[in-house]
Amino acid sequence: MSESQFQEHNRFFLNMGPQHPSTHGVLLVILEMDGEYVLDPQPVLGFIHRMHEKMGESRPCQGFMPNTARMDYVCALPYNHGYVSLIEKKAGIEVPKRAEYIRVITSELNRVASHLLWLGAYLLDLGAFTPILYGFDDREHILDILEDVTGSRLTYCYYRFGGVAQDIDDKFADATRAFIKRLRERFDIYEKLVTKNIIFIKRTENIGIISRDTAIRYGITGPNLRGTGIAYDIRKNEPYSVYPEFDFDVPVGERGDCLDRYMVRVREMEQSLRIIEQALDMLPHGPVRSKVPKNIKLTPGDCNFAVEAARGELSYYLVGDGTSVPYRLKIRVPSYSNLSCLPELGEGILLPDLVSIMGSLDLVIPEIDR
Amino acid sequence: MIETYEIFKNNMMKLEVPVTETDFDQRGYHMEVILTVNTIREFAQTAYEHGFYLVFATGLHVLPENREGVKTSGLEVVYQFARYDRLCRIKARVSVPEDLTVPSICHIYQGANWHERETRDFYGIRFADHPNLEPLLLCEEDKDYHPLLKEEKKLKKFEAVSWPAQHPDIADIQSETLSDV
Repeated sequence: MSESQFQEHNRFFLNMGPQHPSTHGVLLVILEMDGEYVLDPQPVLGFIHRMHEKMGESRPCQGFMPNTARMDYVCALPYNHGYVSLIEKKAGIEVPKRAEYIRVITSELNRVASHLLWLGAYLLDLGAFTPILYGFDDREHILDILEDVTGSRLTYCYYRFGGVAQDIDDKFADATRAFIKRLRERFDIYEKLVTKNIIFIKRTENIGIISRDTAIRYGITGPNLRGTGIAYDIRKNEPYSVYPEFDFDVPVGERGDCLDRYMVRVREMEQSLRIIEQALDMLPHGPVRSKVPKNIKLTPGDCNFAVEAARGELSYYLVGDGTSVPYRLKIRVPSYSNLSCLPELGEGILLPDLVSIMGSLDLVIPEIDR
Repeated sequence: MIETYEIFKNNMMKLEVPVTETDFDQRGYHMEVILTVNTIREFAQTAYEHGFYLVFATGLHVLPENREGVKTSGLEVVYQFARYDRLCRIKARVSVPEDLTVPSICHIYQGANWHERETRDFYGIRFADHPNLEPLLLCEEDKDYHPLLKEEKKLKKFEAVSWPAQHPDIADIQSETLSDV
């Protein structure tokens, strides 16, 4: 057998997913393999495609609110936030200050919950079973807090045009402060358990390096981008809501590898806690909903609104035609662009490293498929 | 932002591409660029060299009309670009000719690959020189079904879904909508 025949003989295709545990949902990646090396990973999308954009174009804009939480179900409140802010901007609706503060507090809580879930699931991908139990324990507290005020545990529909559905009370504030105190103590446990773990470092350091140029060519955003050292955060760069009133940092990495993406998310949780603390201290009094017309008319013309979701830039792009039904509603989701760089990142690496890279990208498949 | 805008605008002038400055507070983007199938690649290359990343690419279906004797397909491709280091969003749009083919930009922005495949799925717009223009979100059997194409009676003129040339005052819109209560 000649050398080339031997190489040909060793090549095969491997279907990773759609039921593979490390794809975190119904994602299929067709891998062209040479032994244990990946030559070409090609994601196949659309298993849970629901055509949210068509639904958005076929009903009055209020009716689309529940859909927004069903894309990224792990971090749904920023999706609520983007959509209500877009319609408010388009229809010129004023939002009371207290409502914006509540939006920021609940969105940031949701972001922490999302990062905790990611942390647990990522370590599970890498073969460590314990962290997900700790992660779920902490996340459970957030879900309880949010359930009390929003009425649901995962697919929230809490924000309304011109405010939020209901006010927060002292019970919410006390529970949130108690949770912040608790999580800060738990960070030490995570650091001992995960961050300084030699096996974890070996599995993530210098693996899946994203460069600045790769990020630009694929439109990568969120912690995946900040891991490369670019401090791009919509909350800072394109301030919306009341974010400019808070003092918080944008953590960045250096190399852009899996370890940097991990570090960025862990440090981001602390920044989110800082924002929540400040917002609770500065929480103004007043109404939480303003008067909104029953029939919201979307003026002719297009409008874009971007927010920072847990995974990166979420943009709603709406074209209005003077009626209450959007003429066109495009939803730009962060994971879609983030995953699209996988064929480039995964070329010529070991199969276990591909699992590590996919985990570090923090993919939510219902968001990608929409 | 102003500095970036000026440099970028000067380079656009060299391409002879019409650029309009827009009100960011009203629309959420700083400038609108109107492209043709001949300028889209040059534009994308310039944007890439200026450090812009592709936010998304998508379609828009409006009523086909006769423009100076040339019948349009009624389809538009809308691109959005932004920068990591400074706040600057650009909307670019291309009117799709009647053969429904637009040059692909995924040799410049590899991330456009999936956005273009998705636009083909939803609108049936073909992207010339695309390496793999197969269904992405829709299944293989629905290759000729394009869900975001509107029925003829629901189609509106392009002018009816774009900002009027004279921007109405935001305060006017607000008082108008509030009177509906």
